[in-house]
Amino acid sequence: MTEDSSGSRQLRPGLWATVNERYPGSMIHKSHGVPLAPLRKPLNECRVTFISTSGVQPKGTLPFDTVHPVGDYSFRRVPSSARADELDIHQLKYPTAGAERDLNVIFPIERLQELAAEGTIGGLTADFFTFIGYNMDPERLERTLAEDIAAAVSDSGADIALAAPA
Amino acid sequence: MSLQYLKAAAAAGDREKLVRYVRLHFGDGNEEAGRKEIDKAWAEALKPLLEVPPTDREFILETLRTRDSATLAHLFFHLHFHFVQQSGEWIHDGRL
Repeated sequence: MTEDSSGSRQLRPGLWATVNERYPGSMIHKSHGVPLAPLRKPLNECRVTFISTSGVQPKGTLPFDTVHPVGDYSFRRVPSSARADELDIHQLKYPTAGAERDLNVIFPIERLQELAAEGTIGGLTADFFTFIGYNMDPERLERTLAEDIAAAVSDSGADIALAAPA
Repeated sequence: MSLQYLKAAAAAGDREKLVRYVRLHFGDGNEEAGRKEIDKAWAEALKPLLEVPPTDREFILETLRTRDSATLAHLFFHLHFHFVQQSGEWIHDGRL
């Protein structure tokens, strides 16, 4: 969350005061925005990747560390060709009842596969990238996890990175 | 609570701030729920010992002797969630 999010666009009055009371010191200060990166070719020629904080991961891989009090700063690769029933969710901090019925509500892998198959987008990177959003050290997250994912996305040949929080 | 906030609390010996954070972590943001979760884990840890079954004390002592404090602390958090899950009363939205 950012202090810039306060003011008229906040979700409800007093939200930030509540957050500060329950989690004092948790506010992140960001003074710089992210520069826009306009597409350089048509969407139907672009390879798309997906970055998600959902905690979705291939079954049988080391579960995200949901118990660590300071968080998990690792990420998982999820093959973009995976079926939903080949994936698990390991996280504690958001309701997963809907995602248990249809993974696409939190991790729209089948929708992206469809967009690629029908040619709306040029294709998908071999892997998507996931992590869990419960991380108490934003500086470490930015320095390690974000950089690691950025490098992996860059190596993947993605033209577009779709990022979605859980 | 940021990590910086917790480190400052640890440096100042402010145990209440640290414990409050743990309760919030265990209670998904609800301190009172977290307090109950801690009690629940201890109750579940006690139950298997009531009949005084044999336990692998060599493993326990070896683990305590040979593993670093961070690993043991991490194990402690794992054990909390393990016993809470074992209780059958799961308050969390997700899974381990």
